[in-house]
Amino acid sequence: MLRFLTRRLIQMFILFIIFLSIVWLLLQLMPGDITDTLIGDPNIPLSTRLELAERLGLDQPVWRQYTTYITNFFQGELGVSFSRYPQDVWNILWEAIPRTLVLVLSATLLAYWMGFKSGKLIAWGRGGKTEQGFITGGIFLQTVFYPWFAIVMLWVFGFFFGWFPIGRFISVNLWQGSGLDATSVFQQLILSTFLALVVYLGARHLIKRTSSKLIVQQRLQRAAAGLVFLALVAYWYSSSARTYVADIVWHTILPVATLGLVLFGAVMLITRTSMLETLGEDYILTARAKGLPNRVVRDRHAARNALLPVVTSFVLALGTVIGGAIITEEIFSWPGMGQLFLQGIVVSDIPLVAGALAITGVLTLFAHLIVDILYTVLDPRIRIS
Amino acid sequence: MTLSLENLQTRRIDPNQPLLEVENLVMHYKIKAGDVSAVDNVTFTIHQGEAVGLVGESGCGKTSTALALLRLLPANAEYMSGEVRLNGEDLLQLTEDEMRERRWKDIAMVFQGAMNSWNPVYRVGDQIREVLDTHFRGQMDIDTQTRHIEKLFTAVGLPVEMVDRYPHEFSGGMRQRAVIAMALACSPELIIADEPTTALDVIVQDQILRELKRIQAELGMSILYISHDIAVIAEVTDSLGVMYAGKLVEYGPTSEVFSRPRHPYAYLLLRSTPSITGPRRKLAPLEGEPPDLLNPPSGCRFHPRCPFATEQCVVEEPPLAEISGGHRVACWNYEEVPELEMELVR
Amino acid sequence: MATKETIQHGEAIPEEAIPDETQAAATFEELVAGRDVAAEPLWRIRLRLFRRSFAKNWGLFRDSKMGIVGLVIIAIFGLMAVAQPVLMSTVWDPAVYDPVSGYDAVVNEFTVVEDVALTDETTEIALSDARFELNPTIDVGEVVRIPVQPAPPTLGGEEGHAHFLGTDPQGRDIFSQLLYGARAAFLLGFVAAFTTVFIATTVGAIAAYYGGKLDGFLMRTADLILLMPLLPLLIVMSAVVQINMIMLGIMIGILGGFGGDAIILKSQALSIKVKAYIDAARVAGGGDGHIIFRHIVPNVVPLSLLYMMFGVTIAIALEATLSYLGLLNIQMSWGIMINAAKNGGYLLSGTRYWWLLFPSGLAVSFLAFGFFVVGRGMDEVINPRLRAR
Repeated sequence: MLRFLTRRLIQMFILFIIFLSIVWLLLQLMPGDITDTLIGDPNIPLSTRLELAERLGLDQPVWRQYTTYITNFFQGELGVSFSRYPQDVWNILWEAIPRTLVLVLSATLLAYWMGFKSGKLIAWGRGGKTEQGFITGGIFLQTVFYPWFAIVMLWVFGFFFGWFPIGRFISVNLWQGSGLDATSVFQQLILSTFLALVVYLGARHLIKRTSSKLIVQQRLQRAAAGLVFLALVAYWYSSSARTYVADIVWHTILPVATLGLVLFGAVMLITRTSMLETLGEDYILTARAKGLPNRVVRDRHAARNALLPVVTSFVLALGTVIGGAIITEEIFSWPGMGQLFLQGIVVSDIPLVAGALAITGVLTLFAHLIVDILYTVLDPRIRIS
Repeated sequence: MTLSLENLQTRRIDPNQPLLEVENLVMHYKIKAGDVSAVDNVTFTIHQGEAVGLVGESGCGKTSTALALLRLLPANAEYMSGEVRLNGEDLLQLTEDEMRERRWKDIAMVFQGAMNSWNPVYRVGDQIREVLDTHFRGQMDIDTQTRHIEKLFTAVGLPVEMVDRYPHEFSGGMRQRAVIAMALACSPELIIADEPTTALDVIVQDQILRELKRIQAELGMSILYISHDIAVIAEVTDSLGVMYAGKLVEYGPTSEVFSRPRHPYAYLLLRSTPSITGPRRKLAPLEGEPPDLLNPPSGCRFHPRCPFATEQCVVEEPPLAEISGGHRVACWNYEEVPELEMELVR
Repeated sequence: MATKETIQHGEAIPEEAIPDETQAAATFEELVAGRDVAAEPLWRIRLRLFRRSFAKNWGLFRDSKMGIVGLVIIAIFGLMAVAQPVLMSTVWDPAVYDPVSGYDAVVNEFTVVEDVALTDETTEIALSDARFELNPTIDVGEVVRIPVQPAPPTLGGEEGHAHFLGTDPQGRDIFSQLLYGARAAFLLGFVAAFTTVFIATTVGAIAAYYGGKLDGFLMRTADLILLMPLLPLLIVMSAVVQINMIMLGIMIGILGGFGGDAIILKSQALSIKVKAYIDAARVAGGGDGHIIFRHIVPNVVPLSLLYMMFGVTIAIALEATLSYLGLLNIQMSWGIMINAAKNGGYLLSGTRYWWLLFPSGLAVSFLAFGFFVVGRGMDEVINPRLRAR
């Protein structure tokens, strides 16, 4: 296992260097001299311009700029933003990354969880009108024009019904004068949720160990989930920052739901296909012949095997997820990496754009790694002995 | 080695008592083009401790019959009429839940290509444990179960260490044995073995057959063998049934059917097997192809290919009638069928 | 002659009873006599086989109702695409209906009301505005006519031109834009999909055929491309170069062609490569290129066509997204229509200015839906497990 991991990490590293280089190259091709943008007045003497260029490292030969950039990257130095000069790119991105991560992870987890469940149930059922309806719905969600869909969602639930805010991360008016910093509150929220999740997983594991009956296990696990969730809510409810936390959560719901819905359609369809293939296998017939209840055959035998191609499909879906995240942030004015990326492109802020792409690349590669590990856990046939 | 251990009990059997009575079973598959008459009026009885075989070409309905007994047919199958009585109780009248209780516990099945009977993501031992959990809920704790599974493995000649391994770590023949072990787990009264030796090499084939015979004798189980390989079936069964185009055309004690088949199809089938010891004669294969069961031939379903067919065969379907003790044939002209000089060497 | 009745079993069969080999040959000749077997040209046979397999596959395709729905949708949009130039050159006045440069100010009636009493902006105008824009002497209650853009749908008549779907913030006819957008979508879709499939098929076939290092290199490249998210990459490229429709199609095609599809088509090609007739072709002296293009590629083509359908779906969505973001150098497409609505500030107007948002958004969605569903229909033909149960 360890050898597998190290080999993968090295592969990832090489891939990442190539990726970063391509990104950097592309951005060098972007037209426009940043110094023109920063110093709009042509009357300022050339010497000042040159000084600025030197400060930004633009006077170095291209290959030197390249190597400097790469080495700096691994030291956590992403350069200085052109458009928000003299802010450091890393500082700008630092706040945005967790926001995008929360958006993407919540939407993805939700979509895969509900999508797998639905796809599994549909494939198991006998067909008929409901199945057709779900399939059509799934295809619709998968092919709908996403920017349009997001706009409609925002309008319907934000404007028309007024249930959710019209985009943005927080209601600025609410927070003014509160003395609280949105980012730190957000970080605390993430941390507490993460801790709760860890506690829950630990409890699940303990429960599995101690009790032997399947039904008792399931009930205890559900109880544990409920308890942990209640504890989390109670904790935040009793804290002084509770309205602010609620505000953030309130703003998060709609963008996550929108991105999640579209992913849900695709996952449901893939799961259905995978289940149908699995249901034709011999061991399913054997499971039925063994006298196992339908639910056990469906979940423990069929769905468990159908899960594998679905997990693999996530890797292919990542590109779409990233694109979807960018659009979601644009339409919902969600201040994450996607928004920064778009803003950077418009003003040719090369370091910022490069930084955003690079971080995305790192996260993507980690996602690949996690999926690989997950797959080895799920499929004993490919475990390295 | 004795198998009479706790949980694997030998039964006291009365060879005259019927265990499974199949009576006039009719089953159709419903497809877009119409009804496929896959099992038509099949009647036979398996007695306690008896080994029965069903032979026939691919598509003759033998596997469909087997699945029909356990009600494991696909969704588009419909039972038109007939009864399947297990110890007097008609299985076709039970609810799905009641049927599920009897599956594996009373009747177990070893499928064709048993290698693929294993779910690749769970350990073999755990998959056997599943049956024990389902049918003996609360009666066996984990350790008892483990010991039982280990005994099963030993009984079929598998090393005990393999219990916690995954299916892909077993060879094909080992997987086959493991399937048999799982089939024995609940000490069923009847095991249905569908092509138990196909896809195995001849030596392993022989071993598996001997195992099954031994287990059957020691545990007092009945077995229903399904195969297209007559030679295999002839060796291990007490009674033999020949199926053609969804119908049971001949049935009787294996020694009789094998040495003196009375139905033209059975006769031609046995004649098409080359013999090493007998006189040299030209192989006379069957001409033509099995009929389309969507529109089966009128009268006797074999008449288009039958060298002994007469006018009556085209018009009237022959019943499965007894011609001597326990030997039944469905043919109007069975007396025309010549002798087949073949000795059954056991 | 000995017959089945007279042969006793166990008796050796006399020589005379065994059918004569030469006799058998004579019978075959009799069978073939009168039929000129060799005369039918190869292409005729191929055509017949093609027509037969096409008929069978069409029957299967027809079974999936979705597939037919998809074809109908594509046909409708196809008609729209064809209709646009026809209408432009016959019935429509270009000055008014040109999707890019046309202009028509639809005149609507408004009732003047007190400033504070203004309730409905589509039928009323505030007193101060009226006085400012038209005539300082106007009074409450008067009905004035003001050109409006964007204008709601109107059937025209003597008053003015017909605008079935209204006009956009710059006074251009939405319906004309919609039809033009169909043309643009088809053009882009096919350029992109065709390029993707062309490259992916060739890459897949070559990788499968040659194997070894070449295969490894091509697959590594495909892995790398899979890693890259398509949208951000195109966004960056749009900042580097001014991208128009055809360029976009080719770019999408190249990026897609070397990516995931190549991997799948390669495994398909591999399954063909091991087939016996490849060896036969080699023995007969066929060169590498000949084998690749005459034998492997035609068998991969059905699967390629399938991916072409999905490729069009993706391409249409990408173009519309990039246009929506305002990053492309094209004059008019459905994405540009939504972009125009955004720039005019009408995005969240919902039902008030629905004609600015819904026709274009739904058009992109429906055409993508149509191609996707046709692809699924074809998938059901190829993969029997997915058929209706």
